[in-house]
Parts: sequence; structure tokens; C-alpha cells
Amino acid sequence: MAFNLTRRKFLKTASLVAATIPLSKVVSANSGVSRSALDAKGTADDKTVVGGICEMCFWRCQLVGKVRDGRLMKIEGNPKSIDNGTSICARGNAGVKLLYDVDRLKYPLKNVGKRGAPRWKRISWKEALDECGSKLKSTVDEYGAHGICVFPHGASAKYPMHYFERVVGTHNVSEASFFQCRGVRDTAYVATISKSPDEKVDMANTRVLFFIGDHLGENIHVSHIKQYIQGLQNGAKLIVADPRYSASAAKSDIWVQIKPGTDTAYLLAIMNYLVQNNKYNKEFVEEYTDGFEEFSEAIKGWSLEKAAKECDIPAEQIKEVADLLASNAPNVAIHPGRHVSWHGNDFQRERALACLTGILGAYYVKGGWVPPKSPKVTSVTWLKEDHDHEFDLNMDHEEDEKLYPYSPPGTPTELIRDCAITGKPYPIKSCVVWGQNPMKTIPNQQKMKDLFTAMDFVLCVDVMPTDVTAWADILLPESSYLERYGYIKKGTQWDLSKQHQQYISARMPLVAPMFERKDQVYICNEIAKRMGHAEKIQSKTIEEMVDKSLASVNLSIEKLRAEDGIHIQPGMDPYGVPDEFEVLLFNEDLADFGHPGAPTYIPVPQTPDGFARLLYGRAPVHTFNRSQNNVWLNNAMPDNPVWVNDEVAAKIGLVDGDTVGFINSEGVKSTTTTTVKVTAGIRKDCVYMYHGYGTVNPLMSIGVNAGVDDTSLITKIAVDPESGCHGMRNNFVKLIKNGKVLDIPA
Amino acid sequence: MQYGMIIDLERCVGCHACTIACRAEWEVPVPYQRNWVKRLGPTMTDDGMAATYYPGLCNHCEKPPCVDECPADLVERTFTDVKSGKTTTMEVAATWKDPFDGTVQVDKDRCIGCGACADACPFGARYVNPAQADDDSEGKVDKCTYCKPRVDQGLVPACVQTCITGARIFGDLDDPKSAVSEYVKKGAKGLEVKGGHIGPNSRYYGKKKDIALLFADYTPELADIASIKRRTMMASLVKPAMGKAKDIGLLGVAGALLVKGVSDNEEET
Repeated sequence: MAFNLTRRKFLKTASLVAATIPLSKVVSANSGVSRSALDAKGTADDKTVVGGICEMCFWRCQLVGKVRDGRLMKIEGNPKSIDNGTSICARGNAGVKLLYDVDRLKYPLKNVGKRGAPRWKRISWKEALDECGSKLKSTVDEYGAHGICVFPHGASAKYPMHYFERVVGTHNVSEASFFQCRGVRDTAYVATISKSPDEKVDMANTRVLFFIGDHLGENIHVSHIKQYIQGLQNGAKLIVADPRYSASAAKSDIWVQIKPGTDTAYLLAIMNYLVQNNKYNKEFVEEYTDGFEEFSEAIKGWSLEKAAKECDIPAEQIKEVADLLASNAPNVAIHPGRHVSWHGNDFQRERALACLTGILGAYYVKGGWVPPKSPKVTSVTWLKEDHDHEFDLNMDHEEDEKLYPYSPPGTPTELIRDCAITGKPYPIKSCVVWGQNPMKTIPNQQKMKDLFTAMDFVLCVDVMPTDVTAWADILLPESSYLERYGYIKKGTQWDLSKQHQQYISARMPLVAPMFERKDQVYICNEIAKRMGHAEKIQSKTIEEMVDKSLASVNLSIEKLRAEDGIHIQPGMDPYGVPDEFEVLLFNEDLADFGHPGAPTYIPVPQTPDGFARLLYGRAPVHTFNRSQNNVWLNNAMPDNPVWVNDEVAAKIGLVDGDTVGFINSEGVKSTTTTTVKVTAGIRKDCVYMYHGYGTVNPLMSIGVNAGVDDTSLITKIAVDPESGCHGMRNNFVKLIKNGKVLDIPA
Repeated sequence: MQYGMIIDLERCVGCHACTIACRAEWEVPVPYQRNWVKRLGPTMTDDGMAATYYPGLCNHCEKPPCVDECPADLVERTFTDVKSGKTTTMEVAATWKDPFDGTVQVDKDRCIGCGACADACPFGARYVNPAQADDDSEGKVDKCTYCKPRVDQGLVPACVQTCITGARIFGDLDDPKSAVSEYVKKGAKGLEVKGGHIGPNSRYYGKKKDIALLFADYTPELADIASIKRRTMMASLVKPAMGKAKDIGLLGVAGALLVKGVSDNEEET
């Protein structure tokens, strides 16, 4: 029994002298109740600093800071916000612990050890920038602009990404937010409705919410969650298809416990049922869609029974869902999803979602897919320049067509990695990683390491010493979202049915940067000068860049600050289908490219005997791998327990709380362990864990070795044939307990 | 007047915004907490598969078992009603139930940090905060105050302000027209202790199966008051000596000497 009472303390305190002398008493003006000086003061009387834009995740809520003696004590939602209001999530609230994280990068560092096993030497900014400039320039001189590849992520990475794409002229850019997340969704919808869908579903005013794998509640974006809960409060029915009883499934009216990878079959059966039974929106289909006949012909084989067998769900339930959608159409919210790079067949699933929305007539109507009418702000960045496609890895030069015709902006990750590792068709010799942690965003970590090993030069810019930074030659410390100007956030009131309003806000620092941290415009401009592009710089400082952008809407930083950080103006009614709007149920271009013109189900690899499919998702208190080192968030969810079906667990002798490791079907073992969560709420053929845990860099003193890194087990690579985006749920694992590998029973 | 808080589990998405906002507002050090969110399930219940959350905090009980256990000497203290300006004087130890707003509060200057009240709380809503140590203690008891300093200024509690779905509703349970009273009429209820009545004023509303799951998993038992009593008596003998001597009650009345012995042992390890 540890009492933590030292002898000195005991003797001192056991003297029976009971009198304690209070420190200064603080008397509250309002209640007359005296407060001890020992009490935390609370932030109500702290100075309020306006203009914060969150980036603990990429939804970017509007913030104010509570500052006491120059120290940021607390972050709150900006009360003027018509988006998040005074609300911010756990991560937003924990931003102060990122700001003051003792593990944060402070100074420019040079790796005097090896890539992957670094020894860091503090160097001056001048030396660091000179080295970056000369190394990158010599790559361009020797190999051409395409000799540089870039892995950006987040708002601070946009400016340097534009520099390397537009000015330097490389196509070899891979954004995690596209190729490992939502890019395939965006291009599939572009192929269907000529627009990226984002998550613009009018959930607050819908009658039915339809989620395929969306796990809102574990996936938290504040105003989106407000819409979702408002919809449910208004009585909307919720349908959730997920192999797991997710946070959303727990609020659902119908939980479809679908077999992973078969979602497109499910959607095709729903659509075929609606078509065959004349339950689709004929008026909308006639007026706004193209290719209905080819579409209906292509999906006609998908009977309820066929899909029931493929998806391992009851045919009756598919019918129930289809009828519920039909009877509430067009006011139904078919959610396009967010992280959708699952199985390498995702373009077709996203096409199916877009088409389902179409045949229900659920575009631009209350409760359907409705893009809010946001203000337009011209962003000032590097000017576009013409760079031909001679070195575009996504071009088949013999056929003169794209290898992945529906690739999101940039170049599909696997094309870049293969080129960099093999040197074919040309050498890639420098790598710039800005805000991304490719060790945790991109599957097959060995291949990522091989890429870095093949480089002449690796630059990483980040706020934290993430796993990828161990592979840098030069590592630069960036100011965080709380310490710099930057991102312009705009939009409308979150509930589309309310008074139409628009807002424009811009990120302003809540506190000054400490140590030698610099913003992206400074760093990128200094590199540009050293690469001979000084005359192409459009903005000397980040503040100037923001001010120039705001000038396009007659605003400025000064004006915004005077308006408490957010400018609000009258908005416009978002409802009503635009005349030119068209839904391509059958897409001729897709067919010309040799891909299915109508949404088509492509089966995924089956689970080998003895294994379970590895599924992953979001933790409500974490963003990818970006927040596990945050003391408060780590405390809230320190590891990522693996969900195992209760019957499976009983058969293989696992109980709740057991410690386990993993081995995947390619023999790769997890380097850390986690605990088991035994639950009836997951299918027997899969296991589930939160993504982003298992940091390996020891400089991340809180997050290191906490939980298991799902990405380390995702070694088999699937690439979506239309978009070139990754699919990351075709990997299979066994659990290891006490050194013994446990076969998962069928 | 009795302040209370409703947690609407139909709205709650288990995001933890409330717990982290509380940390920031009141500088609550890890691993301690003034409020918490626990995830329940998914598990099969009589009403089908269920999963929900237990967002917990001090219940500012009608008969708070913590208050009676405070061994600090009674002193006269004058309370003021923020709304009417009325005052009243009561004899209180270092923790009390406010005669006007019904909240349960702690005087950090008079708290001796013994933790008896924390042990008496069936919900685990109190902890000894080592960041508030002074010359005579290794910390003071800390807990949710329903953000009284904020509320007295006309603000809402920090957790309520940040809640992203409006799942936390704060107000006067004695006012039948208040939003919290409306919820009580709809069936919101507190996690009352097994076989007792302490009247928790943080109350839960939600789907039947979710409420059933919450109450099955987290209905508390009254603490072993007898053991706390022994500690309290001893603490009153060696008041400031208690420091962080948690669970000292288990040692019995001869504890003071034992504490010395144990602390000596510890120094050797």
C-alpha cells in the first residue's frame, strides 16, 4: 500500500498543528463567496482573443482563445460562429496541449545519423534553408522537376504543394486526404453529377439517413454532428450498414450487419428493387438523369436474394430499407461517406451511392444532397504555370490516355512509390513531406521506407516528431494552427432550413510562436528563393497572403478582427435543382475508358481460413495519427482495444481485457500489443480497431508504443482501378496471446 | 432552488468534448477528472443490441454522503443567494451543500486533503488534486462544482457550453418550467444508489434500452461508511497529518502509528 507520505512530511504534518494559513482569499463580486487561491481561477475573466480556426482535424471550427499572462489557457468555439457555435470537440478543446506539447519540434534539425535511425543536430534556419535549397535545386538540375516527390497534408501544406506543382513543376504529389481517404468519393461523384459531393447532405431536415460505414459519433466534425443529431431529433429514421455496431449503428432504426466489401452489391439490389417495382422517382429520372435504360439493364441481375447471399444479410431487410427510402423520397440523405478508400472497388460503390441519390430524386431537395451556397473567396497562392504531361506517371504515353482516368489531383501514390523505388521510368531523388505522416497514412510501411532509402534528399516539415520525421535529412519546425495566420474558412449556417447566412473567417494567431518555429509561407518562400524562384513569390508573408485573399471579398484581417473574427452576410436559398444539373446513371466516358459505365460490384478477396479481416476507423478523441501524443487525449483513449466477436472470443479463449498482438496473412507482426474488447457488436469474420495508434518514434514520449498500429498490418496493397486510390481493408490478421497465434474459427 | 444537469443520451455521441473542456477550464491534471465519459456495450440486451455512454459528474445530491464525512472543524459561513442577494449563515466543515443553489462545494483553504469525502462518494466524483497541495497537505479535494463560479457570473458550465449536440442541459430542478424539469417529467432519472436514497441531481434521459444498460452497469452502492467513519475520527485527531493517506480507514483506529510505520517502509523502497 503506497501512501506517498514521506517521513519528513509525516513528522511535519503530524504535529497536530491544525491551523492552516490561507493564501490570499479571492472574493467573488457576484456571490460574495470567497474563493481559495488554491482553486483554479477558471477562464471566464481571461482575455478573449478572436480569429482562431481549429486544425486538430480538418473540419476547422472557428475558435476564440482564453489567454492569461500570455499563455493560452483554453480554446472555445467562437460565439459568433453560425457553424460550430460555442461548441468544439474533445480534440479542439485539447489544442492547448498540442501547443505546449514538450515533444514539439523547436529548432531546425539536421540528421547526422541515418535515415530511419536519426541523430539530430540543431542547426540555424539559414543553414537548414541553404541545405534544402541546394539539395532540391540540384535534384531539379540533374533529374528535372519530376525528380521531386511531395507528400503534403493539411492547410499548411497547400502553399508548398502549390509551389512544387505549379512553379517547380512536378506532378509527383500524393495527398493523403485524396489517395488514402476521400478522393475516390469525389471523382466518382464528379463522374456522376459533375461535382464533388463532400458531405453535403441536409441531415438536419431529412426523413431518412442512410449511412454506408459512416460512423458519426466516432467520427466527429462538429457542425456535421449537429446536423445529424438535429435530423434524428426531428424524427428521421437512421439506416446504418456496417459490420460493426458503430456509434451510429447504436442510434439506428435499422442496422445492416453487412459483410465487409459487399456494399456495392447491397446498393445495386436496392436500386434494382426500386426500378423493378416502379418505386423510383420517375419525374426526376426523366428530367435530370441520363442513361437510365443502360443502368437498369446493367443492374437487373441483382435480386434481393442474390444480394442477401453476397452481403450475408436478410433479403427482407434489403427490401425494408429500399421501401423506407422510397416512401420518404426525395427527402432522404444518402451519405457519400468521408474516408472511403476501403477495398479497391470503392469508385463503383461511390458511383452507386450517387446513382441511388439520383433515382430517389434526392438532389437539391430538403433533406437530400444539397450544397450550401457559400461565399467565394479567391485564394492567393503561387500562379499556375503550364507543365506538360511528359513526366506524368499517370499517363499511358503510347495510348495517350490516363492510366487512372478518375484520379484525384496529384498522382496516384503507388505510381510515385514504384517509380521512386525502381528508378523507372525515371529517377525520383528528393522527397518533401509537409504535414503528412506517410508511415501512418499509406499502406505497406516497408515500401515507404524503401522510397526514403532511395532518395538523395528528404525534407520533413511538421509540428511534432511523427514517425516519418525519423526519415528526414532536414527536419523543420512549423508553427501550429494556433500561432499563425492562414486558412480562410467560409460557409453557411449549419442548419440549411434556418435563416440563410454566409460567413467568412480567417485563421489568426491566438498566441505568438515560441522557440524558432516558422510558418509555411516563410519556409517555402525561403526555399523558393534558393531554387531561383524569388520573382515568382506572390506574398512575402502569410499575413499578406491572407489579406490579399480577403481583399477579393472586400475584407481584411483588420476588418475581420473588428468583427470578432467572423464576417457574416446574407445568404441564399440552397434548395432547387439547377437547370444544367445532370446525373449520369450510365457514364459513356467511363465505358470508353474500359471501366463499367453503370455501377458494378467487384468482389473483394475473401478472408483466408483462420484469419479475420482487419477493419479500422476513427476514435472520437483522435485525428488519424496526429493526436495520440496529446496528454489529455491520450488519457481519454490511451490505446485502441481490438473488437472481437463474443462467440469467436469464447472459442479461442479470449476474454475482455486480454493483451494481444497480431500477425497478418503476409507474416507481418505488430510490434506492440493492445487489449481485447469482447462484444456481440461485430461480425465473426472481422476484427476492428481505431486507426492511428502505435507510434514508434521515441521522441513522441506520450504516444510511443501506445496501442497497435493498424497501418503496420496493412501490407497488401489494393488500388482502385478508376481512381488509383488505395483500398486498405483487404488485409487479414490472427491474434497472438501469450506468444501463441490464435486461429480465428470460421 | 436546486441546480441539476440532464444528460440526454439520445443526443450524446460520446465525443468527450465535455471532459476536455472541463480540464482546460479548471486545470484538472491527468489522470484525475471532474467528469468522465465511459462507453457501454455494444452488448445484447433484452431490447436488442445496445451501446451508449455514461457521461458522469458530481450529482450534487439531495443528501450528499460526502458532506457528512468531512472531518474539518465546523465553522460559521455566510452564504449569499446570487439572484436575490439574501444571506444565511450555517455551520459547515470544509465541504457543504449550498443552501441557495443546492450545489455541493469545497473550501480549498479548509480542506485537509484526507480524501474521506472522496471515498464516501458512490460515484467516484471527487479526487485529491496534488496540484493544489499546500504546506499542510499533499493536495485538496477537487470535484465538479457545476461551474458555480461561471454560473454565478451568468455563464453556463464549461461542459454545457462546448457540448456539440446540446446533450447537456443545465438548470433549476425546482423550477417546474425549466428545461431540466421538463426532462424530469419525460422520465430523466439519476443514478440512485442501491437500497438507499441520496437524490442525485445529474440525471439521464435516453432510449429505453440505453437507459437500462446504463443503470445495469453503473448503479452504485453506498460506500462503506463505517470504514470512512473510523478514518474521519482519526483524521480529526491528526488533522493536517492526513495528507494523501487514502484508505487509512482500513487500518483501523490505531492507524496513526501504522501510517508512520508504512511511510517509513516506503522510504526504504
